[in-house]
Amino acid sequence: MKIALLGNPGVGKSLIFNQLTGLGVEVNRYPGSSVELECGNVCYKQEKTEIVDLPGIYSLDGNSEEETLVRTFLTSGGADVIVAVLDATKLERNLYLFVQAAEFSPKMIAVVNMIDAAERQGMHIDAESLSSHIGVPVILAAASEGRNIDRILPVALGQATPAKVHVPYDHHIEAALKSLEKTIGTPMHTNLLALQGTGDDTVLLDAAGAIAQEIGMRHRMSVGQIIATNRHNFAREITASVVKRTAQKKPYDLDSLLTRSFPGIPILCTILFLLLLSVFMIGSWMEEIIVTVFTTSVIAPFLALGLPPLWNQIGFSVLIALQAGLGIAFPFIFTFYIGLSLLEDTGYMTRAAFLSDRAMHRIGLHGEAIIPMVIGFGCTVPAIMSLRLLKTRREQTIAAILVTMIPCSARTVVIAGIVAAFVGIFWAFSIYLIIFILLILTAVVLSRITPGEQFGMIVEMSTLRRPQARLVLAKSWLRIKEFLFIAMPVLIVTSILLGLFQFFGLTELFEQLVAPVTVTLLGLPGYASTALLFGVFRKELAFETLAVLAGTANLGMVMTSVQLYTFAIVSVLFVPCVSTIAVLYRQLGARIAIITSLYTVFLGLIIGAIINILMK
Amino acid sequence: MQPSLREDYLEAVQLFSNKNARFPLTEELAAALSKPVPAVRSDIEKLVSGGDVIIVAEGSITLTAQGKQTGTCVMKKHETLQCFLSEILGMDSHRASDEACTLEHTVSDETIDRLGKLIGTHEHHRHQEKGKHRTPAGERACKGETDEYCESPGISDFSEGDEVVIQCIHGRACAQRLLDLGLVPGEHATIKRKLSNGALVVQVKGCDVAVSPEIASAIGVERLP
Repeated sequence: MKIALLGNPGVGKSLIFNQLTGLGVEVNRYPGSSVELECGNVCYKQEKTEIVDLPGIYSLDGNSEEETLVRTFLTSGGADVIVAVLDATKLERNLYLFVQAAEFSPKMIAVVNMIDAAERQGMHIDAESLSSHIGVPVILAAASEGRNIDRILPVALGQATPAKVHVPYDHHIEAALKSLEKTIGTPMHTNLLALQGTGDDTVLLDAAGAIAQEIGMRHRMSVGQIIATNRHNFAREITASVVKRTAQKKPYDLDSLLTRSFPGIPILCTILFLLLLSVFMIGSWMEEIIVTVFTTSVIAPFLALGLPPLWNQIGFSVLIALQAGLGIAFPFIFTFYIGLSLLEDTGYMTRAAFLSDRAMHRIGLHGEAIIPMVIGFGCTVPAIMSLRLLKTRREQTIAAILVTMIPCSARTVVIAGIVAAFVGIFWAFSIYLIIFILLILTAVVLSRITPGEQFGMIVEMSTLRRPQARLVLAKSWLRIKEFLFIAMPVLIVTSILLGLFQFFGLTELFEQLVAPVTVTLLGLPGYASTALLFGVFRKELAFETLAVLAGTANLGMVMTSVQLYTFAIVSVLFVPCVSTIAVLYRQLGARIAIITSLYTVFLGLIIGAIINILMK
Repeated sequence: MQPSLREDYLEAVQLFSNKNARFPLTEELAAALSKPVPAVRSDIEKLVSGGDVIIVAEGSITLTAQGKQTGTCVMKKHETLQCFLSEILGMDSHRASDEACTLEHTVSDETIDRLGKLIGTHEHHRHQEKGKHRTPAGERACKGETDEYCESPGISDFSEGDEVVIQCIHGRACAQRLLDLGLVPGEHATIKRKLSNGALVVQVKGCDVAVSPEIASAIGVERLP
C-alpha cells in the first residue's frame, strides 16, 4: 500500500509525516524534476505501507514544478490512498485544494489538523457534518500534541473512498465540460485544466481554448477566475455549515511589531545578525574539536601506516577531504540549518520576505529572494539550491550571481583568521563593507542587463507558532544529508587531484606560471597562488594552506598587512568553491556557472590589484 | 516591383524613422533589411518613380505622404498580427514576427480591424496602468490581459485598515497564484499592513497574503460599502 500526504504549505504535513514514519526517512527526487519527495515506510498489521509526503501546494491548476509533480502523481495513480491534510484554522482555503484533488477521484481521507489552535480561536468543527459533505472519513487531529495521529493509518487503509464532491461550476463551464467529454472523451479534471490552458493533448487544448475564449468574452472574466471563484464559493458553503464560531478574545498580535517598518526592520536585522554570530561562534568551537579529534584518531594513525608515497598521498587527500567536509558541514552548516529551520518553522521567514521586498526590488528581485540570500551566509551550495523558490529565470540568474558573492561561513573563517587576527578587527569589517558595495553595484548592473520579466512576491504569511524541536532537527538533518551528497564527492575528487598535483611537484611550476599575476599585479608572495588555488577547493583552505606554505602560523611575521589584506579579499571574492560551481551547473546550467566563475575571478583580481596599488 | 516588396521597404523606412527620429540612408536601409546595397539602391529608384519616397539632399530616403500612409499601415498590421500570434495564440515571439512579415501583405483591412478589437482590451489595460511601474516598457508591447474589462482601482490605492471587495485580477502571470490563495472576484479583503513602498499584507479568508507593490496594483478592488 502507498499513502500520500497532500496539503497546503504549512498545514503540518511534515510533522504528521514524521510522527507516522519515525526515523528512516528517504528523500527521493521525482523523475524529471528537482522537487524532492520524502518517503518513509511503516508496518501496519504486518503489512508494509509506504508513506509519501508530497510538496505543499495551494492548487493543482498551476504550472510550478511542485504543482505539476503532484498533478502527475495524482493522474498516474502514484498512491493508493491520498490523505488530505487541512488546516482547521484555514479550513475554507484548504478545502479549495481538497475539491480539486477530489476531481481526480482517488481514494481519500481528510485529516483536519491543528484542531487545538482552532479551538483556541473559538472555532468548532463538526467532523461528521464535514464528512457527510465531502463524502470521505474525517479525522480531527492536532499533530503538535500527537492527538488522533494514530487513527490516520487505520482509517486510511480501511475506510478511504473517492470523495463525493461536485463543485457547481458556472453553467457555461459545465456545458463546456460536457461537450469536451462528448467530443474528445477526456475526463472532467483534464477538461478543466485544458480550459485553463494546461495539458499536453493539442486537440483538446485547441477545442478548450476556443470555448474558453468564448466564455471569457461572455463573462468578461477569464475562465481561470470563474473556475477558481466557483471552487472557493463551494468551499465557503461547506465551511459555513460545518464550522461554529464562538466569540473569543483576540490574542495579542505579534505582527503589529514584526511586519511594520519600525520596529520590524530593526528586529529583522537583529535576528539575522544573531543567527550569523551564533553560527560562527558555535561553528568555530565545534570545528576545532572535530578537526583535532579527526587528526589524532584518523589521520595520524593513517600516516603511521607507512604506505608507499603515492598511495599515502591519495589516502591522505581523501582523509583531508572527509575532514574538511565534516569540519565545515557539521559545525557551520548544520548549526546554520537549525537556525534557518527555526526561522522557517516559527513562520518568521515570511515576515522577513515581506519586509525586505522593498530593498530587494531595488536590485531587481523581490521579497522571496531574501531566503537564498540568508542561506548564502551559511553556505552557498544550499543557497543556490533554494533558488528554485524564485519563479523566473531572470530572478534566478541575478540571485545566483549575488549569492555566490555573499561571504559564506567558510569565507568568514578566512576573513577572521587572516584579517581580524593579523591586521585588525576594523579592517575585517571593511572587507564586508567592500563586498556589500560590490554586491549592490553588481546587483544594480545585473538588474539592468538581465533579460526577462520581473515577477513580484506573493507569499502567504505563515501562522506564527512555536517550532517543534523534533521537526527542526529532522529538517536540518535532511538538508545536511543533501549537502553532503552534493559536496562530498566534489570535495574528495578535488582533494585527490590537488594531492597528486603536489605529489608530482607541479606546485612550483604553477607558482612560476602565475607569478606575473600574484607577484606583480597583487604584490603577494609567490606561494600565495597555491593557497588561492586550494581556496577554490574550499574557501577556508586558502588560509590553512597559506599558513603551511609560509611555514608559520604567525602570518604577520612573513607578510605585510597590505599583503594579508589583499590575499584575504582576493580569496574571498574570487571563484566560488568547486561545490558551488557544481551546484550552479546543476541548477542553472553551464552558462551561468561559467559566467559566475569568470566574473568573480575578474572581480577578485581587479579589487586585489586596486588595493595593492592604493595601499602599497 | 512586387507590391509586397514595396510594402516591406516602406515599412522598414517607417520603422527606422520611428526608432531614430530621422530617415535612413540607403546603406542603413540595406543593413536593416539585410540586403545588398546595390539591389536596395535600384529598388529605391523604383519607389521614387512610384512617388512613395524622395531622396533629399543628404541622401536620406524620405517618405512622401503616400509612402508614409502605406508604411504606417503595414507596420500596424505587422504589430497587430504579431501581437495576436504571440499573445493570444501563444506562439514564440520571433516566429510570430516572421509569420507576421508574410501575413501583413495579404491580410484584409477588415481582418486587421477585428483582430485589433479583439486585442483592443490590451490597449485599454495598458492605458489604465499607465504611471504604475510594472514591467519595463519594451516588454509591455503586447502584454496585458485579454479578457477582462474591469475598471476598478488597484488595491494599492487604498490604505492600511481599509476593507475592500475584490473585483478582478489583471495580468495573467500572477493571477493564478492570487486566485489559488482566495483572492477571487467578490471576495472581501482587509488591508492589514501597507509599507511605504506599497507592499501589502492582505487578509482574505482568514489568511494573510503578502504581495509586492506591482502585484498589488494588479488587484482591482472597490471599497466595501
